[in-house]
Amino acid sequence: MDAIPPSRVPASPTTLATSAAPLVRIRNLHLTVPATAGPVNILRGIDLDIGRGEAVGLIGPSGSGKTSLLMVLAGLERATAGSVLLAGHEVTALDEDSLARLRRDHVGIVFQAFHLIPTMTALENVAVPLELAGRADALDRAREALRAVGLGHRLSHLPGQLSGGEQQRAALARAFVARPLLLLADEPTGNLDHATGTAVMDLLFQLRAAHGTTLLLITHDADLAARCDRCVHLSDGRVAEPVPG
Amino acid sequence: MRLALRLARRELRGGVRGLTIVLLCLALGVAVIAAVGTLRAAIDAGLTADGRALLGGDLAIDGGAQPLPDRLRDWLRARGARLSNVVQMRSMLVAPSGERQLIELKAVDAAWPLAGAPVLSPAMPVADALAPRDGQYGLVAEQLVLDRLGLHPGDTVRLGSASFRVSAVLVSEPDQSATPSLLGPRVLIAAAALPRTGLIVPGSFVRYALRLTVPSPAAAPALAARLRAAFPDTGWRIRDPHDAAPGITRFIDQTGQFLTLVGLTSLLVGGIGVANGVRAWLDARARTIATLRCLGASARLVFAVCLIQVLALAIGGIVVGVLAGTALPVLGLVFLKHLLPVPPVLGIYPAPLLLAACYGLLTALAFALWPLGRAARIPGGALFRDALLPQHPRPARTLVAGTAALVLGLVGLTVATAADRRFALYFCLAALATLLLFRLGGIALTRLARHAPRFAAPWARLGVGNLYRPGNAPALLLVSVGLGLSTLASVALIEANVRREVLEQLPANAPSFFFIDIQDNELARFEQIAGASAGVEEVRQVPSLRARIVAVNGVPADQVKATPETRWALSGDRGLTYAAAPPPGTHIVAGHWWPTDYAGPPEVSFDAGLARGWHVGLGDTIRVNVLGRDIDLTVASLRDIAWQTLALNFAMVASPGLLAHAPHTYIATVRVAGPDQGALLRAVTDALPNVTGIAVADVLAAVAALLGQVAAALAATGSLALAAGALVLVGAVAAGQRRRTAEAVILKTLGATRGQIRAAWLVEFGLLGLAAGILAALVGTAASYAVLHYMLHYIMHAGWVFLPGTLAWVLIMALAMMLVFGYAGTAAALRTKAAPLLRNE
Repeated sequence: MDAIPPSRVPASPTTLATSAAPLVRIRNLHLTVPATAGPVNILRGIDLDIGRGEAVGLIGPSGSGKTSLLMVLAGLERATAGSVLLAGHEVTALDEDSLARLRRDHVGIVFQAFHLIPTMTALENVAVPLELAGRADALDRAREALRAVGLGHRLSHLPGQLSGGEQQRAALARAFVARPLLLLADEPTGNLDHATGTAVMDLLFQLRAAHGTTLLLITHDADLAARCDRCVHLSDGRVAEPVPG
Repeated sequence: MRLALRLARRELRGGVRGLTIVLLCLALGVAVIAAVGTLRAAIDAGLTADGRALLGGDLAIDGGAQPLPDRLRDWLRARGARLSNVVQMRSMLVAPSGERQLIELKAVDAAWPLAGAPVLSPAMPVADALAPRDGQYGLVAEQLVLDRLGLHPGDTVRLGSASFRVSAVLVSEPDQSATPSLLGPRVLIAAAALPRTGLIVPGSFVRYALRLTVPSPAAAPALAARLRAAFPDTGWRIRDPHDAAPGITRFIDQTGQFLTLVGLTSLLVGGIGVANGVRAWLDARARTIATLRCLGASARLVFAVCLIQVLALAIGGIVVGVLAGTALPVLGLVFLKHLLPVPPVLGIYPAPLLLAACYGLLTALAFALWPLGRAARIPGGALFRDALLPQHPRPARTLVAGTAALVLGLVGLTVATAADRRFALYFCLAALATLLLFRLGGIALTRLARHAPRFAAPWARLGVGNLYRPGNAPALLLVSVGLGLSTLASVALIEANVRREVLEQLPANAPSFFFIDIQDNELARFEQIAGASAGVEEVRQVPSLRARIVAVNGVPADQVKATPETRWALSGDRGLTYAAAPPPGTHIVAGHWWPTDYAGPPEVSFDAGLARGWHVGLGDTIRVNVLGRDIDLTVASLRDIAWQTLALNFAMVASPGLLAHAPHTYIATVRVAGPDQGALLRAVTDALPNVTGIAVADVLAAVAALLGQVAAALAATGSLALAAGALVLVGAVAAGQRRRTAEAVILKTLGATRGQIRAAWLVEFGLLGLAAGILAALVGTAASYAVLHYMLHYIMHAGWVFLPGTLAWVLIMALAMMLVFGYAGTAAALRTKAAPLLRNE
C-alpha cells in the first residue's frame, strides 16, 4: 500500500547529496495564484540555498510570501515556475503521493495553529508519521518523544484537553519524531503567550540541536530570528537582502 | 417569546444551510404518507360514486352453485324490484385455429345491466352484441382473449357445444364486483344462449346470482335486512353498494396500510435525519449560541430561538411533502388504473393530508427536541470548547418527558388510524426495536474497534481507529441506514419465502392439467383419450360435488368463531368428494378412516388446519348443503393436507353412500411428459366440449407474474425507506465532512499518501457497511419469520426457511451503499487543497 516506486524513493539521509551540497536549493521560484481581480504574483523569482544543519530565519512583512514559500518547499503548494531541490529531489516534479512520502521521511512541520488531529490522543497524533512509515515501534517512539517534550503525563489526552503550550509541544514532538532532515516552522509561537512561546522555542532549538535538523523558521519575532544562523528577508515575493545571523 | 421570534428571524436571514436535510427528510416521508392517503381517499371516493354500477344494481344476491328459487324472485318483484339474472362459470373458448383459452364466462339476461353500462369496441348496445344473428348468438370478450386466440370481431368461436360470433371487444363492464380473475379474462354471452353450450350440467362449477334495482335505492339496505329475515339459513351473499367490492376494499385497506407503514418507516428514517441535521447545525452554530449565552441569553431563550428555526424548516418540509403527496397519486394511477374496477376520483382530500402533516410534525419534534435540549443545557463557556470537543449532557427532564410523549403520540396515531391495529402496534414496536438495535450495534462496533488488535498496515489502523475516535459517529451512520435496509431485507425474505413456497416447492410429480366438469357418462371417454395421448404418465380422477357449509356443531356458519385465516372456508361453495378408501398420500393425524364397506351415517375426513381454525374435533358435526339438501357429516378423521403438491386434495372427503347417489361431476389431474402438452388439452376439450382444462403451467405462470408484480411493488416501496436512509446518510457524512477533510489534510502533511487515506476510509466504511448488513439481515430474518409464521402461516405449509442467498444480497447492498458514500466523501476530501487549510488562522 505504501510502497514507493523505486524511481521515486527518496534516498536515505546517508546517501543524500554530498555534505557540501545544500539540503535545500531554490532557484527562480515563482508562485502565481488566480484571483477574481486577476492573477496574484506571490513569489517572484526566489533563489535560496539552505545548508545541511543550518537554521534559517525567514522574516518579512505580512503578505510577503513567507508561508507560501514554506508551503511550496513542503510540497503543499505547487510552484508556478522554478526549481526546488530538497535532499536531492526535485519537489516540483514529484506527484502528490511522492511528495507525501518525501514529507513523511524527511520533513517535519510545525504550524502556528498546531494542527493536531482533534479526535486522536496526543500519543496517537505523535505516532502517525511513524505509523505511516510502517514503523512497528511507532507508539513506543511517540511515547519517548512526548516524554522528551515534557508531556509524558498527557499521552492519552485529546488536543482539546491540552493547553495551547502543551498542544504546540505535542506538535513539536510529532515534527521531530521521525527524525526529519528539515524542520519547517511557521510562527510556532504565534498562538502562545510570551513565556510559553519562549519555552516552546527553547525546546525547538534543543531538539534541533540534538538531532542536527535543518530549520527554516518563519517568525515576526526579532529575538527568535536572532537565534538562527542567518535570516532571509522576504519582501513582495522576493528575497530582499541577506541578513547575517 | 417575541424576542425569541426576533432572534430566530435574524438568524434565519443568514440562510438555512445545514438544516436543508431536515426539510428534505420530512418532505420525503410526509409525501409518501400524504400520497398513499390521498390515493386511498380517491379510490374510496371512486368506489362510493360508482358503487351502484360496480354492484350492477341496488342489491346483489349471490346464490352459489344452486339456482336462486323463483319464490325469491316473486318476493322481490312484489316489493317493486326489477331483476336481472347472471350466471358465471369457468370455461374454454376455442378459436377456429384450434387454440383455446380458459375464460371467466358470464351469461346475462336482457335486463342486464340494471346499473351502469358496458363499454364495447366498436360501440354498440350490449343487447345487440349478444343477440342471435342468422341463428348464431353474439359474444363479447376482453381484448386479452382476442389477442391470445388471434381473433377479430366477426370471427366465429366455440364455447362448449355451441358456436358464437365475436361481436365486439369488452372494454369495461359494470357489475364487476368480483376481484379480477387471475386465470380467466371475461367473456359475456346472453343467458338464452347458455343452454346451447351444454356447459350447465349437474355438479358443474357454476355460480348463480341476481342483481336488482328498487324504486327507492336508499331503502336497499333495509330491503336486504328484510330479505335475510324472510329467507334465513340460505347461505346467500347479499350486498348493497356500500359493500360493492369487498375484495377490492380489503385489498385497498391492506395495501394502503402497508404503504402507510412504509411511508412511516421513511418518515422515521427521516426523523433520524432531522436529529442528525439539527445536531450538526447546532455544532456549526455553537459559537453563535455561546455568544448569545455570554451576552445574557437564558437557556430557555436559546432553546426557543433554535426550536423556532427548526420548526420553520420542518413546517417547510411538511408543506413540500403535502404538496408532493397531493400530486403523486396522479403518477400512482398510471400503475393502478388497470387493477381498479372504477376510476378513482382525484382531488384534494384534507383528512389524509392533515394526517400526513401530523405525522411529520410529531416526527420532527420527537427527533429534534433531544439535540435542541442538549444545546440549551451547555453553558456559554463550554460551548466554545464544544466546537472542538463534543459534549453530551442530557437534556432537561421535561424535554426527555416531552420526547417520550411525542414518541407515544406517534405510536398512538399510527395505531389509531390503522386498519389492523394489532399489526400497526407490532410494526411500531419492531421499528423502535430496530432503531435501538442499530444504536446498540453502533456502540458495540465502537467498542470492538477500540479493543481490536493493532493492524500492521497504517491504513487499516487508521480506518479501524476512525470507528472509535471521539466525534466520529458509527452508531449514527448505522442507524441512518438501519431501518431502510431492514425493511428491504424483510421484504426480500418474505417475498423469497413465499415464492419458494408457491413456485419452487412443487414436487416432480405435480400434475400438468386439471380437468373439471367431467360428467359421469364422460369419464370412460376421458380416460380413453388421456390414456391414448402421448406422454401421459398418470391420470387421477375423483368425484366432485359443490357443498356449502351451513353449520358447525349446530352453530350457523356465519356465527362460527373461526380464526381470521380460516374464515374464508365458511362462506361460499366448497369442493367435496367421497371415497371408500383413503386416497394415495393421505396423512391422517387423528381418528380413523371408515371401512371400505361402510354404510352408516355420513362421515367426513376433514382438513386438520381448518379444524384447528374452526375448533372442530373428532365426533363433531359439519352440516353441508349439497344441491339444496342439508347433510350432517360427522368428523371421523383429520388429515394434514400438502396443498402445495397440487395433487387432488379436498378439505372434506366424505364417506360414500348418500353422496355417491347425488348428481356430481368428476375432476381429474393428468401428468404429461414431453414437448406437446397442449395436444392432450385439445383432444379432451374437442371430444368433451363441456369439460374445462386448466394447464398448471399457465396457472403457475400467472401466479409467478403476480408474485413478480407484488415483489416489484414491495421492493419499490421498501426502496423508499432506503432512499430516505440514503438521504440521511448523505446528511450524516456531510455533517462530518469538514472535520474529515481537515484530518485528511493533516495526514497528507504528515506523509500519508492518497492511497493510504482512501484505504483507511474504505476500511472504516466497509466495516460500517458490513455491520449494517449483518444487523439488517438479523432484523430481516426475525421480521420475515414473524410475518410468515404468525401472519401468513396459512400459505406457508413448508414453513419459513433461512435464505442465505437473499441475505447475501442485503449484505452486498449495505456494503455498496456505505462504500459509495464513504468513497464520495473521501474523494471530496482528497481533492481539497492543503495549503489554504494549513495557513495560520
